[in-house]
Amino acid sequence: MTRFSRILLAALAVCVLQTGILGYIIGSRAAILRSGTEILLKTAPVDPRDLLRGDYVVLNYEASIVPGSAIVGPQPKEAEKAVLWVRLAKGADEFWTVREASFERLEPTDGNVVLKTLPFQFYPPYSDSGLQVQYGIERFYVPEGEGKALEQARNEQALTIAARVSSGGKAQIRSLLMDGKPVYDEPLY
Amino acid sequence: MYRGRLERDLGLWVEKGLIARPVADGLLKELDSRESSFSVGQFLVILAAVLISAAILMLVASNWEAIPRLVRVGTLVGLIWVFHGAAALLLARGRNGLAAASLIMGTMTFGGAMSLIGQMYHLSGDASDMMMAWFAAAAFSAAAFRSGALAAITGFLAWGYFISLGSDFDFDWNLLPALVVPAMALGVMGLVYYTKAGKVRHPAYLLMLAWLVWYYVSHDSVPTAILLAIVGAVGFLLSGLPQSPLYPAAKRAGAAPAFYTCLLCMIGLGLLHIEYDESMGRLVVGVLTMIAAVTSIAVCGRDNGVVRYLGYIAFAGEILYLSSMTVGSIIGTSGLFLVSGLVVGFTAWAVIQLEKRLAGRAAEVKA
Repeated sequence: MTRFSRILLAALAVCVLQTGILGYIIGSRAAILRSGTEILLKTAPVDPRDLLRGDYVVLNYEASIVPGSAIVGPQPKEAEKAVLWVRLAKGADEFWTVREASFERLEPTDGNVVLKTLPFQFYPPYSDSGLQVQYGIERFYVPEGEGKALEQARNEQALTIAARVSSGGKAQIRSLLMDGKPVYDEPLY
Repeated sequence: MYRGRLERDLGLWVEKGLIARPVADGLLKELDSRESSFSVGQFLVILAAVLISAAILMLVASNWEAIPRLVRVGTLVGLIWVFHGAAALLLARGRNGLAAASLIMGTMTFGGAMSLIGQMYHLSGDASDMMMAWFAAAAFSAAAFRSGALAAITGFLAWGYFISLGSDFDFDWNLLPALVVPAMALGVMGLVYYTKAGKVRHPAYLLMLAWLVWYYVSHDSVPTAILLAIVGAVGFLLSGLPQSPLYPAAKRAGAAPAFYTCLLCMIGLGLLHIEYDESMGRLVVGVLTMIAAVTSIAVCGRDNGVVRYLGYIAFAGEILYLSSMTVGSIIGTSGLFLVSGLVVGFTAWAVIQLEKRLAGRAAEVKA
């Protein structure tokens, strides 16, 4: 192989690899949006209140706190990086709330979804007040300068999120609603 | 730096009649013709590439709605292909500087594209995963193109990953990230060796040190600090003593191996100072530190400027520390200044004696 064709091959391999990684991320996210189960989540105020990071609004949900009474099954004995599997079901007011949670995998059944939290450092034992968890949907990116109004709505608890959940427990924000009306609808791509 | 010093020395030698003017000119010409030598034009090209990359990243961050997001993703992917394709063509024509700039822009654009996708799908809380993917892509590209510039970028991306561990996990010690960080440092060292980009190896060495300190912070402290000091001391002796089997390899790598192992030893001893701050323990640690400082100067002080300075600083710092803690508490604050003065004076005398001995040894070697 000549030196030139070797270099061309290197360029091709690098481009295919990088495009592939990007395509994979887009594909996996679009798949959740396309075929996940839709849930509606109520946001909760964030402390500190003014946490607009220039280009995204920090979101926090009522479901971000998993009460100790909802946790079933064994817990890790030593401090370690852990994930929780959290079962959510629709309540009387259309919003989805925590029903049970476990350090071991839960499977969704009819009428509920199971969300897998992001890994967090767990120091046993948990208390009744529960655990603060994240689902990877704690940011909403907005065009520069449009965050303030959303942030205020969030602090007045007028903000809700429609998300879709894959069977593997990954959540993907589909739509952001203010006072029940969609403000941002997310296209597949 | 080196060129300036060399030019000055050559001028001096010509003046003293040690070498002829043409020889001096020839030596300088040879230095300038080396590929690794500094060129202002080359440097500016790389700076321009970094600026353009930053512009792309900022454009992504602004989430500018005037361009539909699919167009934004498509443009960035297109740019990745354009930059790498251009790099290939430029390399084929021997325009290595421009090719390096193009490769840097390609890798930075890939990072920008990943954060754009994170923005499109409102992803949160996995900065470290993104940094890992970015590092992997950059490392692959550096190896495929055998590019020293990209090896430098991987060094910084490895640091980016390490720092993102702070935002994602508050630097909690977990098995996977704890293994990934040294693996990245070793990977960067491997790339630096493979791409012959010796100048950019320091981020990797520093990352290794940061990882060891991270280990100390999150583990049983005393044994870890002792371990760091011992590993550093053994590594230093292996790379600095002419009798060591690793000496020739370490010598080829320049001042760095002896310096960083010496620094590791000093960090370990420094941490032990925090653990043992009672009279006896403090004295033992202090004496060990002074022995280590003198040993480092004795072993490497003549040929290795940075080790020499590190040894001086450690030695002087230790004496100041001991005199302010142990001695100071006994004879009171007023006496402290007198003692410190005497001690510093003694330090100066000891250092001058050492320097004289080093100069003497150098003269013997010449004779």
